[in-house]
Amino acid sequence: MKKGISLALCAALCLGLLAGCGASSQAGASGSAPAEKKGTLNLYTWEGMFPQEVLDGFTAETGYEISYSSFDTDETMLAKLEAAEGGDYDLVIADDYIIETAIAEGLVSELDKTKLENLGNVNPLYQGQFYDPEDAYTVPYGAGVMTLVYDPTLTDVEITSYADLWDPALADNIAVVDNYRVINGMALKVLGESYNVADTQVIRNAGDKLLELAPNIRLIKNDNVQDDLISGEVAAAVMYTSQVTLACLANPELEVVYPEEGVGFGIMAQFIPSQAPNKDAAYAFIDYILRPEVAKQCFEWLGYYCTNQAADDLIEEEYKSFLTLPEGFNTEMEMIENITPEAEEMHMQVWTEFKAACE
Amino acid sequence: MKQRRSLWLMLVPLYVFTLVFVAGPLVYMFILSFETRAETWGVVQEFTLDNYKNIFQPVYLQTFAESFRLAITSTILITLIGYPFGYFMAKLSDAWKKRLMLLLMIPFWTNSLIRLYGWMIVFRANGVLDKLLMALGVIDTPLKLLYTYPAVVVGMVYALLQFMILAVYSSCEKLDRSLIEAARDLGASPAKAFFTVTLKLTMPGLLSGIILTFIPSMGLFFIADILGGNKIVLVGSLIQDQLLKAHNQPFAAALAVVLMLLTTLMISLYKRVTHSSELEGLL
Amino acid sequence: MKRKFRFSSVYLALVLFLIYLPIVLVVVYSFNESKISSVWDGFSLKWYEELFADAALFEALWNSIVLGVASSCAAAVIGTLGAVGFTRVKTRTKGVMEYLSMLPMMTPEIILAMVFMAFFSLLGLPFGMTTLIIAHTAFCVPYIYMLVKARLVGLDPSLAEAARDLGAGEIRVFFDITLPLIAPAIASGMLLSFAMSFDDVIISLFVTGVGVNTLPIKVYTALKTGVTPEINALCTLMLAVTILLVVISGAVGRMRGGAQQTQEGKQ
Repeated sequence: MKKGISLALCAALCLGLLAGCGASSQAGASGSAPAEKKGTLNLYTWEGMFPQEVLDGFTAETGYEISYSSFDTDETMLAKLEAAEGGDYDLVIADDYIIETAIAEGLVSELDKTKLENLGNVNPLYQGQFYDPEDAYTVPYGAGVMTLVYDPTLTDVEITSYADLWDPALADNIAVVDNYRVINGMALKVLGESYNVADTQVIRNAGDKLLELAPNIRLIKNDNVQDDLISGEVAAAVMYTSQVTLACLANPELEVVYPEEGVGFGIMAQFIPSQAPNKDAAYAFIDYILRPEVAKQCFEWLGYYCTNQAADDLIEEEYKSFLTLPEGFNTEMEMIENITPEAEEMHMQVWTEFKAACE
Repeated sequence: MKQRRSLWLMLVPLYVFTLVFVAGPLVYMFILSFETRAETWGVVQEFTLDNYKNIFQPVYLQTFAESFRLAITSTILITLIGYPFGYFMAKLSDAWKKRLMLLLMIPFWTNSLIRLYGWMIVFRANGVLDKLLMALGVIDTPLKLLYTYPAVVVGMVYALLQFMILAVYSSCEKLDRSLIEAARDLGASPAKAFFTVTLKLTMPGLLSGIILTFIPSMGLFFIADILGGNKIVLVGSLIQDQLLKAHNQPFAAALAVVLMLLTTLMISLYKRVTHSSELEGLL
Repeated sequence: MKRKFRFSSVYLALVLFLIYLPIVLVVVYSFNESKISSVWDGFSLKWYEELFADAALFEALWNSIVLGVASSCAAAVIGTLGAVGFTRVKTRTKGVMEYLSMLPMMTPEIILAMVFMAFFSLLGLPFGMTTLIIAHTAFCVPYIYMLVKARLVGLDPSLAEAARDLGAGEIRVFFDITLPLIAPAIASGMLLSFAMSFDDVIISLFVTGVGVNTLPIKVYTALKTGVTPEINALCTLMLAVTILLVVISGAVGRMRGGAQQTQEGKQ
């Protein structure tokens, strides 16, 4: 009997080694094969950026298969892209500030605009921004505005500005996104400063201001913040556009506030890495999703502000207020840009202090 | 001579793998911790000790204290809950042992993030627990348990309990129960028999259980982020922030080196205190 | 005696209940109509429909299984041989090696992920399943090593010695005597390793290559756009399959005769 067991275990051990080697060689082959095959688009972005119909529609029409790889943060993307020396991936969609760094690192190839027939559909409001002032490298895909949302049934405070969040009546009742530049920026705005101020003393002051906000903070997180607003866990939340869309669809009672101090916004954009194996596929894809009817499908799915002017009119009425900026929108807007390492370090320090003070 | 050679052959995979794929990357990390961050992205190879100096800022020291507090609290609770479980489990019939083993492992087959979402449903304001307690008349307003310290501790215990159970179980299973009976026959009270015989004999399992839970709990931070609303700043989340937000790889590496040193220190202290030297050094 | 037995059963059941509580809720909410997990909108199977339409998710599941099996097996070989070998060989490097192989456990995942990525790219290894398996094996080895070692400590050495006295070679002794004795520890170590690998996301994110997604990567990278109950549905299905497999293997085992089973258990 003993022998039987040991034989079985021995077999398992050997099988394990074999499986390890077999799987690795096989996967190694399949891992590099699509890049060489002409008909594959290696798309690298967050999970869930496109409705399945759009991806399938693209494949059906152009014949390019889509291999969808996903990352969790912009920084993971850039680290991977750097390790791949600008190769491996054909098309990347990421946030504005990281694209500026990627361009500076020489990982982005310049766009050949003659290959993009539908480029004219892009809303000029989202073009010529800091990360790509000449629009030479990127095509925007969705914009987000840092929005304040609150449930008037849960608090008597009428919120019209970031400063209102400091109201003691909101104790332990606010949710904020886990983004240090946005939240520190909120305090900077209350102090009348820019998001991108370089003076570390000013950032320090904003940090002190934030410490006063700490007792009001119930949670800090990026994912599914809308759930906490809807379930009544918190009365007010600072969150991303797609979450605002979800929250308001679930509970129309919620008030959306564009704070008086001005709002921050960010743009997600597509770019083609410098050594992309299949650039033609990437151009085909960019052009495909620039079509107004495709863009409409994408943005209704994504819940971010539509960056495609031609698609604005197609968007269904129920989504319209979330996906396009309100008529006569004139609040001051500012983007969060890359800053000096010293300023960054100070931001990080006050952010860590703030988080610890919230407990 | 031939025997010795075959014995050494057994060790070859461990040596090769560890030296190449574990020591290699870690040496890289150690070097990284003495370099300087670049202006926007990456590192420049300029030797500096600033990364280590930076750790002594009170706000960063605080994160180490928080990490230890949480790791120790969780490990103690896990030991108190897990040890009896492993002990009782080892007393069951063989068929039940197998069943229980599987029952313990199945939860791991579901995504840990999703399991935490399950706890969120329990703890949520007006969630499962609130409704239950209100129905029983224990409380009349929602407890607001989610995003509190106790919620985080529950999450930690939940994530690591099985490690303790398995380690204690495999130790208790080979426990010679006649020794306990002998002690009882000699007039020892059940408690005395337990502490002098059972506990001593199952110490290796308990110790590896504690190491298997304490070490990961020093690094686990996503539970604190999800169930604690990110308000408890642990070293792990600080490292994450430094890497993925501030793009400061060298500082993150320095934090990791210090964390590893402190963890090693804690474990060797624990071994010294419990006199578990007969284990000929697990670690 | 009888009373004590009852208490232990109650205790085991209670702890298991708490372990399964969140999982039951995950299952329940996979039938939730609403996309938002805090609202119950009524019973619906729509997430299962979406799940079955999502081929990429099943591919990711398959990748995860291959990765988990490969790395837990590789770790079992390395860890077991190492733990057994060190009981017999006295060498000065032993302490250092043990410490080194434990280090992946002590290093926060995110930093390990970063250095693994940099190191693999330094070695020129192409990112993909190979790098995933190496990285996962690295953090699985300590679990196997620890559990096997805990089992070996205090194991009666006279059996192995007797065999050796009778002229059995080291290899023979290992397979005939040691291996059966430490089998339970290897088994639980492998189960743990598989679970760790199956659940790992941070390291996988950094060392994976083009188009090789694992299940946790899919879940985790959806956070920006929102995790949908589709994942709950997938977890439910996986649970159902696991339980089914367990029941089947149990039934087969029983059919093959209880006598054999109890004998196996005793060893």
